[in-house]
Amino acid sequence: MTLHSLPALERRYRVTGHPELRVAILDVGLACCALEVGAAITAGMLVPEVSSDTGGDGCVVSVLLISGTVTDALAPGVIRAWGALEDPKLAVSFGACANTGGPYWDAPTVTKGIDQLIPISVYIPGCPPRPEALVAGLVRLARPAVLTHSDQSGESR
Amino acid sequence: MIPAEAHGTIALRASACTSCMICVRECPTWCIELDSHTEQVSDPGARRPKTVNVLDAFRIDFGLCMYCGICVDLCPFDALAWSPEHDHAATTAAGLVQGITELQTAWPPTGPPTDN
Repeated sequence: MTLHSLPALERRYRVTGHPELRVAILDVGLACCALEVGAAITAGMLVPEVSSDTGGDGCVVSVLLISGTVTDALAPGVIRAWGALEDPKLAVSFGACANTGGPYWDAPTVTKGIDQLIPISVYIPGCPPRPEALVAGLVRLARPAVLTHSDQSGESR
Repeated sequence: MIPAEAHGTIALRASACTSCMICVRECPTWCIELDSHTEQVSDPGARRPKTVNVLDAFRIDFGLCMYCGICVDLCPFDALAWSPEHDHAATTAAGLVQGITELQTAWPPTGPPTDN
């Protein structure tokens, strides 16, 4: 699996009910959690921006959404994807596997929390989390404290 | 369509918990932590005081939780229930651990009654 072209897969979304929020999501869908992102789009909670949509003053934050099990084989790809994203960027850990290893907490080949590899701004619990939980987590990203944290961790990376 | 109350979060009614540890032992990811101690309770007219468990701490690590609901199903005292709340994202991994206060706050209005 090559991840060199992943940043081109980044998609811009508006979050229904939160007009101040514009996110460009690079979804690293590694397991079943990725389906919930699709569910959020299908249910209209995340609305893909069309290219002509330039409205809104808020800057677009690049979000690396790690949804699924990070195995040791895929961990370098996740790190490369994080490095390839442009600032301002934030990483969101989506689901039990990305948060702590989840049901694979005992497996030797699974990363016990993606925060061991890249700085995470928001952890969304669930196995898998509901699409509503994804939206709630993205809204949490908009909080200034989280953005400040991102600036600090961005310097060290 | 998934029902709104499904797969939200798990809530605790501490007054119904007898610290029997069934949820802790049966959890596939061992994400529940429970502390308790015993106290002697004397009833007037009883031959001897009886020993009861008193719940000191109950924590669920939602970073690990698989939301399988085995704890909810197995609790003999309906002290655990599904709650439709889903906004439990945290900014640290440790923030995903919830104690008695947070777990009680999530108790669903449609769940089993809160009085014994």
